[in-house]
This record gives sequence, structure tokens and C-alpha cells, in this order.
Amino acid sequence: MTTRILLADDHALVRRGVRLILDQEPDLEVVAEAGDGAEAVTLLRDVPVDLVVLDIAMPRMTGLQAAREIARRREPPRVLMLSMHDNEQYFFESLKVGASGYVLKSVADEDLVAACRSAMRGEAFVYPGAMSALVRDYLDRLRRGERVPATVLTEREDEVLKLIAEGSSSKEIAVALTISVKTVERHRANILARLGMRDRTQLVRYAIRAGLVEP
Amino acid sequence: MRERHDDMGPSTHLREPVGRGRVSDVRERTVPLYWKVCLINGTVFLAGTLALLLSPASVSRRALLSEAVVLTLGLGVMLLTNALLLRASLAPIDRVVRQMDAVDLLTPGHRLAGDDGGGPGGRLVASFNAMLDRLEAERSSSDARALAAEEDERHRIARELHDEVGQQLTVVLLGLKQVRQRAPAELVEELELVRESARAGLDDVRRVARELRPGVLEDLGLHSALAALATGFGAHGGPTVRRSIAPGLPALPPATELVVYRVAQEALTNAARHAGASRVELTLQRLGDLVVLGVDDDGRGLPVDATGAGLRGMRERARSVGGELAVTGRPGRGTRVRLSVPAGPA
Repeated sequence: MTTRILLADDHALVRRGVRLILDQEPDLEVVAEAGDGAEAVTLLRDVPVDLVVLDIAMPRMTGLQAAREIARRREPPRVLMLSMHDNEQYFFESLKVGASGYVLKSVADEDLVAACRSAMRGEAFVYPGAMSALVRDYLDRLRRGERVPATVLTEREDEVLKLIAEGSSSKEIAVALTISVKTVERHRANILARLGMRDRTQLVRYAIRAGLVEP
Repeated sequence: MRERHDDMGPSTHLREPVGRGRVSDVRERTVPLYWKVCLINGTVFLAGTLALLLSPASVSRRALLSEAVVLTLGLGVMLLTNALLLRASLAPIDRVVRQMDAVDLLTPGHRLAGDDGGGPGGRLVASFNAMLDRLEAERSSSDARALAAEEDERHRIARELHDEVGQQLTVVLLGLKQVRQRAPAELVEELELVRESARAGLDDVRRVARELRPGVLEDLGLHSALAALATGFGAHGGPTVRRSIAPGLPALPPATELVVYRVAQEALTNAARHAGASRVELTLQRLGDLVVLGVDDDGRGLPVDATGAGLRGMRERARSVGGELAVTGRPGRGTRVRLSVPAGPA
């Protein structure tokens, strides 16, 4: 079954670029476009969609406000945020208002499709910067001897974890460990699951407990 | 450094500002300095003359030794009296001159203790203090205007970068992905290079925009902005930043929040770059009517005569929103930065 997508961005050419990328995938289809958050919320009343992709900075109603509004609906569609900000605070704020993932515009060409699919699977899409912030915090707490979720990582996962903490991208990790990018992605997902951060609720809970964000 | 240390309390040195009103009151009650000197001299000479006229003493045509002794003594008494009387009136002038040499508009609030006698010297001190009040007020309002203009301009450029250049580069990046998929094999490598270049450009635009103006402050508030700042410093090989931000802090005016953010940013940069600190403590809490930002590091500490442009900038920013900055530290013992800003609307 194809995923019906509503796309909201105030820049028409960006919208067109994103649409082309999504429409190329057989399982994804953009069924509506909006130029700001308010228009997106209005459109949702008439057009049934499964996923909303929202630019975080839009006039009239920002992406964050729109996401909060959408989350209040009876059967809300999944939401993904598209953003220029490489800042984990925006990421956690997005999860808090109900989004399942956060995609940086500078890697949208690589990550957006994967993010749409993990959102539809009910998993959170953690963009690389936030992933390394999370993992660094986890390692810090482990070093300080604080109680952290009990986990047993395989040797390989441990290597991947350390490289993520150093801020390496999936590509760089793949080269360093001579494995494929796909395998790195699988390790990433496993690590998140083992740390108890698979979906957005778990992630938000973890971030609040770790003091990364305000409750 | 000691003197700075004394600044720690927000108002230890602040005396009641001496207003113009009090100066003119003083003026009405007292004679000008010139006439006071004339009066003192005149009184002393009059006393001497009267002593000569009314006492039985007289001077022979050829002065006797005894008469010379009496005259010398009399002259001595006159000079001494004159000196004592003038000293009381003129001493404040020297104090004012010394204060003029030492005055520093960046560490305001130092005032000369007034002379309650209300003499010309006291009036000079009062006028001088009033002048300092005016200068400091003018200085601080022109600093505040300059800073506000600078921040507005940064804001405008950052927005332009984000909304225009950033969006255009995103379009390029997305377009290149389309082109790549349909391009002949021999062009793929070239297109990959161009795409990575566009990506790097987009990253640069984002970084520059963020340095110009922390968007997170506007969008998510001071708490998130400080959290992001702390995480960012830890991420780039900098010192570990532990932060504790008291819950339920009062909302500050946007200009004040920006100052708190900028001072924290500058203090963290100093700790990481110049002090070589390995741990930094970042705190924000409420103390009475003040919200106090603290940045404490375990680095080399400030040199005794630290007066860098950074420190100066932090001080100016603090003053522009009615706050106070105190920086203390001893070589080898780390540095402690305290910024207190009014909790209510500025």
C-alpha cells in the first residue's frame, strides 16, 4: 500500500524537489502540498493522508505549531520535520510535539525516504547529530558510574557506538570498519533499540530523564 | 583583580546617585570657592591687623630683637591658620583629580564620598559625581543602542541566509539527486562531487547563520538555547559542560535573554579556547530580584590584568540591559563569571 503524503514548505522550489524525490519511490506518493503550517492543518480536514512532512520554519504557523495541532486530531497521521537546524534541541522539541522524526535539509536527498519509511513503521528517525548527542551522553553517564539502562552490545555495535559518539557519519563508519552503509544503519537501529530509544515516546522519556531537555 | 572582586555584590559600590537638585541646593547655601579663599585670607589678615592695632605692642623705628621674634611668631600663626582653613576647603579638589585619573566607565558606580560640610570642596565632589552619573548613563544608553543595532543586523543577515541562500542550496541538492539518477555513467562521479559541494555549502550557511543569531533562542527559548550551547561545546572536543538551570525561572525580555546567551557563549569560548579548562559548570538561577548566570571553569584562570575585548564586550552587554558582570579568577584556580540581570521587565 502506498503512503499518502502531505508536504508543507513555504519555498515552492524546495517543495518541488522534495516531491520529485518522494514520488520516485513506488511506496510513497505526495497527494497534497501546502505553503505554510496553517494551510497544511486546513488541508488535512479534507484530504486523507498517512504522513505529513513539515518544514520547521514557515510563515503564519511554524512546523512545530502545526505538528502540535495535528497531534490533537482524533486519528493523527504520522509527522516528519524537515529542518535547516542541526541542533538536538529542535529534534527533541519535534518529538515532544508529536513528530516521529527529524530530517536535516542538507541530507534530505539521502535520508528523507528512509525517514518516511521508519515513521510509517512506527520507529523514530533520529538524525545523525542527535544520535551522536544521545550516544555521547550515554557514554558520559556510563563513565561517571550512573545507572543507565542495562545493555549488552556486541563488540561490533560497541565499535559503531564509539564512532557515532565521535560524530562520524554512517559513510565514514562504513569505511572505517569496512562494512556496508546498510550494515551500519542496521547497527544504529539495533543500538537505539537496546538503549530503549526505539520510538518517539521512549526517546523523549530518555532525553528528559537524562536532562537533555526540559520536561 | 581585587577591585573586580569587590564588584561581586550587585550594588556594593553604588551610592545614591547625586542629582542636579542637590547640587543647586548646595550652590544656594554657599559662597563660591574664589570668595571663600578671599574671605579666609581676609579674615586672617584682619585678625593680624587688629592684633597690631589694639594690643599695646608697637614696632620701633629700628626693630628690636624681641619685637622681631613677636612679629615672626605672629606671621607664623597667620600662615598656619590660613593653611589649615584652606586645606579643609581645597582637599576635595585633589581627591577629584585622583578620581578623574582612575575613572573607568566600564566599571561604573565608583563615587567620591561626599563632603557634608557643604563647602566649595563638597560642591565640587557633588558636581563631579553628578557628571559621572550623566556620563555613565549616556555611555550605557549609547552602548545599548549600538548593540541593539548590531543584533538587528545580525538577525537580518541570518534570516536572509536561512530563508534565501539555504533554500536555494536545498533546491540544488535535491535537483542534483534527480539529475544523477538519469545521468550517463561517465558523469556520475562528477555529479557526486558537485552534490557534496552543495551539501558543504548548505552546512556552511547553516553554521554561519547560527553564529550570527541563535535561532533556537527565538524558537525554543533560553533554556533550550543554553542546553544546545552546552551540548555543542562538549561535542567539538571542548570541555565537559555540566549545566543546572533552575526550573520555573521568570520569563526575561528578549534583549535580556540574548545578553544572557551571548555572555554564556563568550564565557564558554574563553574556557575552552584560552583557559584550557576540562570541566565547566553552567548555572542559571533566581536570586531575589535577579536572574544570575554562572560559568565556572577549572582552567588556567585569568591573568591578573585581563582586560580582553571579550571581557569588555560582556561588560557592555550586561550594562545594556541593566545587569552586572563580575569576572574573578586567579592564575591556576579557574575562572568564575557571574552575570546578574533584573528578573522583572527591564
